[in-house]
Amino acid sequence: MASVTQMSMVFDDDSSAAWNEMFSAPGSPRPIYERLFAELNRYQLAELRQRSEQLSHTFSERGVTFAHSGEERPFPLDVVPRLIGAMEWDLLSRAIGQRVHALEAFLADIYGDGRIFAEHVIPRSVVTSSPHFCRPAFAVDPPNGVRITVAGIDLVRDEVGNFRVLEDNVRIPSGVSYVIENRRAMTQTFASLFSDHRVHPVDSYPAHLFAALRAAAPLNVSDPVVVVLSPGVHNAAYFEHVLLARMMGVELVEGRDLLCRSNLVYSRTTNGERPVHVIYRRVDDDWLDPLQFRSDSIIGVVGLVNCARAGNVVISNGIGNGVADDKLVYTYVPEFIRFYLSEEPLIENVETYRLEDDDVREEVLKSLASYVVKPVDGSGGKGIIIGPRADEKTLAKAAEAVAAAPRNWIAQRPVMLSTHPTLVDEGVSPRHIDLRPFAINDGEEVWVLPGGLTRVALGEGELVVNSSRGGGSKDTWVLNDESMPLRESRVATAQRQRNVSYGPRQDGNVGRGDQ
Amino acid sequence: MNESLSLAIRHHTGFTYDGLAKSSYNEARMTPITGASQEVRNAHIAVQPVVPLSTHTDYFGTIVTAFDIQEPHQKLEVEARSNVESRAGLIAPAISWNDLRAPALVDFFSEYLFATDRTKLAGDVLAPLDEWSQIADLHSCVDAVSAYVRGHVTYLPGATSVDATAQEAWELGEGVCQDLTHITIGLLRELGIPTRYVSGYLFPLSDAEIGEVVAGQSHAWIEYFSGAWTGMDPTNGIPETERHIIVGNGRDYDDVAPLKGVYQGAASSSLGVVVAMSRTH
Repeated sequence: MASVTQMSMVFDDDSSAAWNEMFSAPGSPRPIYERLFAELNRYQLAELRQRSEQLSHTFSERGVTFAHSGEERPFPLDVVPRLIGAMEWDLLSRAIGQRVHALEAFLADIYGDGRIFAEHVIPRSVVTSSPHFCRPAFAVDPPNGVRITVAGIDLVRDEVGNFRVLEDNVRIPSGVSYVIENRRAMTQTFASLFSDHRVHPVDSYPAHLFAALRAAAPLNVSDPVVVVLSPGVHNAAYFEHVLLARMMGVELVEGRDLLCRSNLVYSRTTNGERPVHVIYRRVDDDWLDPLQFRSDSIIGVVGLVNCARAGNVVISNGIGNGVADDKLVYTYVPEFIRFYLSEEPLIENVETYRLEDDDVREEVLKSLASYVVKPVDGSGGKGIIIGPRADEKTLAKAAEAVAAAPRNWIAQRPVMLSTHPTLVDEGVSPRHIDLRPFAINDGEEVWVLPGGLTRVALGEGELVVNSSRGGGSKDTWVLNDESMPLRESRVATAQRQRNVSYGPRQDGNVGRGDQ
Repeated sequence: MNESLSLAIRHHTGFTYDGLAKSSYNEARMTPITGASQEVRNAHIAVQPVVPLSTHTDYFGTIVTAFDIQEPHQKLEVEARSNVESRAGLIAPAISWNDLRAPALVDFFSEYLFATDRTKLAGDVLAPLDEWSQIADLHSCVDAVSAYVRGHVTYLPGATSVDATAQEAWELGEGVCQDLTHITIGLLRELGIPTRYVSGYLFPLSDAEIGEVVAGQSHAWIEYFSGAWTGMDPTNGIPETERHIIVGNGRDYDDVAPLKGVYQGAASSSLGVVVAMSRTH
C-alpha cells in the first residue's frame, strides 16, 4: 500500500472526461503501463526533475530546437514516455497504410483522369476551389507512382479510447527528427526504463526514407543522386533537414545550390556541377519554382517543375499534394478509401461538418460554442477556434468569417483528447496529447515508423497540441508482444495454441505477403 | 453557309535588355490548337538565342513551349508560325437558365464560375445583374452584358498595363481587349454563366489578296457555356468568327499568357508584339 500512497502523491488524478492513456482508474495502470508505472514509482519527484533537466541538457547540446515566434527554443521532452501496445500499433499502422494508399490514388486521379469526379464521389468544385490544387502538377507523373513519400497522419484518441484521424499531412510533414532525438536522449538518461520493455527502435527511419527516395528516381538512372532541399537556416525545421541529410548521407542544398538547364537539374559543388535525380524538398509549393508559382521566391529553383515534367528529376513529396490534406477534402477521405480500395476505413475521422451545405451551416452557426472551427488550409493550430473555450467576441467573428466564405472552414465535434501523465511544475499531471506517426511509401509498401511524435499541450486543459504553439513531446514506445504483461501474453499464447490445433498451419504462410 | 479562312500566321515577340540577361526561364503559349472551329495544319516555334525547346500540353489543353537560356544575351526573340483553317463557330440555341443552374453542371464548370483576382468585380459595376438575369435567352443576355461593358469602357491601346484587373479597368473606363474580356467574364460568372478567357489572334476585316501580308492582332475574347462553349468577342461586340484564331483558354489571362519568364540580369523592355497574317488560299 505504501507505493499507492506514494503514487497518489506523484501522479495527479485525471478528473476530466478524457481517456487517460496510463490509468484505467486512479492509481490503477492499464496493463501495458504496469511495468513503467512500477519503475517510475521508484523515483521521487525531485529525481524525475533531475532527469528532466538532463534531457533538456542533452537536447541543447545537440542543438535540437524549434523556432517559435521567431525565437529558437528547445522543444521540451517529457520524462514520462507514451506506450502503445503491439496489437494496437498493428491496427494503427494498417490504418495509416490504408489512408496513404487512398490519398495516393486520389492525387493520381485528380492530376490525371478525374475518375472520382465522373463517379460523383467528391464534387469537382471541392478540388478546383482548393488553394492547393496545383494545375502545373497536372500530368506530372512520378515514375514509381509515389507522390506521398512521407506522410504524417495526425491521430487523437477520443473519450472512449478510439483512435481517430484528426488531419492528414502529405505536403512536407515535419517532426520526425524529434522522434529520433527523443529516443536518443531517453536512452541516454533513462536507460533503466528500457530494461523492462522491448521497444521498437526508431533509428531506421533515415534508411527507409533514403531507400524510398532512391526508388522514386527516374527509371533510366541506375545510381540516382538524392539531395535534401531546405529553405535554409531560418526555417523552423532546419535542424531536421540537417539531421536527415546527414543520416542519409546525402547533400543538404538550398535553392541557390541547384540549377536547371535544358530540363536537367544540377547541384553546384566545389567540384563543378553534379546531376541530381531526386529532391527531397522541404520547401513549400508556393516557393519552389518561381516560373510556376510565386515569382518573388528566392529560396526556390527556377524551372524545376518542367524538369520534373520531362521526367529527369523527381520532386518528393510531389507538387500539388496539398489538395489532399485540405481539411474539406479530409471529410471525403473515408469515401476515397471505399472508392479506390474497396475497403472500410480502419480508423474513423473526427466527426466533421461541411459548411457549404446551407442546412449544416445554419445548424452549426446556431450553436457555434459547441464546435471546433478550423480553417481548411491552416496548419500548426493557426486560426482554430475551440467553441466551448471561446468568448462571445471570438465566436461572433468566427460566425462572420464562416458565413462570408463557407468553403474556407470546417466544423468539428470538440474531441476531448486523451491525457497522459506529464511532468509539469505542479508535479506529474495529466496533459492532452496527440500522435503523429510517420509513414514512408517506397512504391512497394507503406512502412510506418513504429513510434511517432506524441505531442503534449503543456498548459492544463489546453487542447491544441502543436510544436509551433509551444507544446512539448514524449518519447513514444511501440512495444513488442513479449513485453506485454503476463496476463495478456497467456491469452496470446492460448490463442496461438488454438491456432495450431484448429487453424491453418503457420508454416504454410511462409513467404506470403501481408494480408 | 459557314465562312472559312485559310491563314498563315507569324507571331513575333520578345525582350531587349539594358545590359545582359542570363539564366532566363520561359514558357511560350503561342501555338494555335485544333478544335471545333479551326484546324491547325502546322505550327512551329523558333527562339533566339537558339536553345533546346520542350513542349507539353497544360491543364487547360494549351500547347506550352518551355526553354531556358543560360548564356548571357542582349535580346530574346520568340517567333511562332502556323497555318490554320478557320471557320465561324456555330451558335446553337441556348439551354435555359434552369438547366444552367443544375447542380451537376454548376459543379462541372466550377472553375469557370469562381472569380479570380483578375476578374473579381464589386460595387456599381454589378448594378444591372438582376435586370440581366431576367433576359430569358442566354445569348441575348451575354450580348447585353457585352454591350454594357463596351458602353462604359473605351477600347484604348496602352491604357492599362498587362497586370490590370477587371475592377481597375472598369474604374478607369479605358482598357484593351484583355480588360474588356476580364470585365465581361467577371459579370457573366456573377450571373452564373460559366465563362472562360480565350487567347488568340484576330485577322482584320480587309480585302487583302491571297498572299498579301496584313497586320493582325494578338487578341482576347470569351467563351461562355450555353449548352456548348460559345465564342463571343466583347471588345468588338461580335460573335467569334472565322477571323478569330484560338491559341488557348483558361480562367483568365494568367493561365494563357503568351510569353512568361523569369531571368537574372539587367532591366528589360518588350519588343512589342507583331502578328503578321495572310490568306493562303
